[in-house]
Amino acid sequence: MKMALSLIEKYRAKSLKDIKGQDLVIKEVEAFFKLFPKRKALILAGPVGTGKTSIAIALAKDYKMELFELNASDLRNRLKLDEILKPAIGQQSLFNKGKVILMDEADGITSTEYGGLPELIALIDKTSFPIIITANDIWQQKFSLLRKKCQIVNVRELKESVVFDILSKVLEKEKKKIRAETRELIARKARGDVRAALNDLQTALSLGEEEFIADIAEREKQESIFNAMKKVFQEAPDEKILNVYDNTQMEIDEIMLWVEENIPFVYHGKALFKAQEALSKADLFRGRIYRQQYWRFLVYQNFFLAAGISSATELKNSQFTKYSKPSRVLKIWLANQKNAKKRSIAVKYAAFTHMSKKKAMKESFFLPFIIDRKAQKLLDLTDEEKKYLKEKKKEIIEKIRV
Amino acid sequence: MDINASTIWTEKYRPRNFEEVVGQDEVVKKVQNLTKSLNIPHLLFAGPAGTGKSTLALIVVKELFGADWKENYLDLNASDERGIDVVRQKVKDFARTKAFGNVPFKIIFLDEADALTREAQQALRRTMENFTSTCRFILSVNYSSKIIDPIQSRCAIFRFKLLEKKDIERRVRFIAQEERLQVTEQTITALYEASEGDFRRVINLLQSCASISPSITSDLINTLIASAKPADIKIVLEYALSGDFLKAKEKLLDVMLKDSVAGTDIIKSIQKEIWNLPIDNELKVRLTEKTGEIEFRMVEGSDEFIQLEALLASFVLAGRGIVR
Repeated sequence: MKMALSLIEKYRAKSLKDIKGQDLVIKEVEAFFKLFPKRKALILAGPVGTGKTSIAIALAKDYKMELFELNASDLRNRLKLDEILKPAIGQQSLFNKGKVILMDEADGITSTEYGGLPELIALIDKTSFPIIITANDIWQQKFSLLRKKCQIVNVRELKESVVFDILSKVLEKEKKKIRAETRELIARKARGDVRAALNDLQTALSLGEEEFIADIAEREKQESIFNAMKKVFQEAPDEKILNVYDNTQMEIDEIMLWVEENIPFVYHGKALFKAQEALSKADLFRGRIYRQQYWRFLVYQNFFLAAGISSATELKNSQFTKYSKPSRVLKIWLANQKNAKKRSIAVKYAAFTHMSKKKAMKESFFLPFIIDRKAQKLLDLTDEEKKYLKEKKKEIIEKIRV
Repeated sequence: MDINASTIWTEKYRPRNFEEVVGQDEVVKKVQNLTKSLNIPHLLFAGPAGTGKSTLALIVVKELFGADWKENYLDLNASDERGIDVVRQKVKDFARTKAFGNVPFKIIFLDEADALTREAQQALRRTMENFTSTCRFILSVNYSSKIIDPIQSRCAIFRFKLLEKKDIERRVRFIAQEERLQVTEQTITALYEASEGDFRRVINLLQSCASISPSITSDLINTLIASAKPADIKIVLEYALSGDFLKAKEKLLDVMLKDSVAGTDIIKSIQKEIWNLPIDNELKVRLTEKTGEIEFRMVEGSDEFIQLEALLASFVLAGRGIVR
């Protein structure tokens, strides 16, 4: 099988002029280059998929310089940094070309004594080549010293229209077609992240458009409920807490099931108790809404489900938590499948004995004993139902023997 | 279908005339007199399950109409029909034609009428009035207090008693003789205790035992009734008290789904179980109070399982530092 290059790699900018929507950033980067070594390092700070790495790579190409790439998340320790960085600085470049050192994804560098941050800072002092550092969040405390040593350029999210254009160009080059609405959907969903957009485009091409759209809808729904869960369970309630479920595109009943499923994984002891209590009250109001059709109670149902659950504890756990899909409905469905035969027998029995189905279900334990062959005929049971009764009787008798 | 030939004992031994009904002498006497006069009012039969309400209604109908009873009798169940509109439509269709024979009305038996909401009962009241010239209603309920006053005031109310041991004994001895079973004093006691006064339960239990062995011992009855009970709720409570909420929740759902037990039945067993738990009395009182509160919320709320979970969470809280 031919290994297909991912669209991301295939269409990575080869020159600064291929980079879309970041003209200002490029100007600043070029200015920095001309000023070197007055300023030795540059930080490109901004969200993922906005072109930070691409800018650095394209720059090196345009200026015909050798790019020395370092990935901080791979090289977490001092030893490796020493090994790779120091020789690069000492040596003269082979073909008399200049060099650019790219420290990609600096967020991963640690600030502890085993980490690489002090080394990186020392490197900036010593270097005779420009260093470009990319980071998502440069305003973290651990970077305070680094920030002083570097020029910082903020790379902003790409506009939807820019992402849309990129997608259209890629499709043109790939000689493939996708409806404009789908391109719009991908661009909107990417929220300025070209990498995500190209990934989605690839998925759309391989899945087919229709399936892709359905897939996205489901994913969006899940993402939004995950965010809501995170807010409710892991963040201190703020003034927007009552609107926390507004973006989930889910009925409140389904949200209740999500909350119910996840309480015991996040809360324990007293917090668990308070959260279950809040959930119980939310359900109380839901019952009253149903019975009395008094929809204003929805306010209270939502209040308990949002603020009630959120304020069950003040000690919020900020660790990453994986929220689970509700499992109860599926379990109920499976059990109903299992009980279907019992129910169908009970219904026939109920009609024959002047009782309600509900009462018949209550007596269903006795059915394998009291519906004998003759009664089976009278009730017109199917072979399946007869088999169920036979097996059930055997099962109970064995249980009694023990 | 010939009911007399039925091998289901609750039908086979269902009393066929006023004389065979046991344990409801007062009620039977009055209803019998009304029936003789061939002009009965609407009737409201109130009483626990398995005390003879449906049976008595059937006897009334058969006494009134004799062989034609099926044409003149409509049997509805409020908890089975989907909404009062369905009930009304069925009543309309049935009541449109005149009664057969020399009785000037037909009989509609509405079982579990207390399953109807107050609004539905209002609608039912209108229906009862509209068809009063052609129909009589017999309503059957567990609690008459659940029926709205305007309906109660239009009915003659009869209260059925919980069956006593001697009533049960009389009938069980009769069945045992017919079916050639061996029963002892202990058998009767065990049946009575397991039944909680519900005759249907007594007979079903007796027939089940008989299908295993003709000699009905109290041991057999007790083991059978024990396995009839849904899986032990005690395990659920023990998990909760030991602090393992997740396990308790999982087990609870298992118990409810496996035997399709209603939440209201679960909470009943929890309430009964609390006093046997290895915790101090003060805590038992507090937990029972909480159980009552949750049972109330269950009635008012919409999702029984969510309410039971809240109860389990308070068991978890109560158990901290006390159990294990």
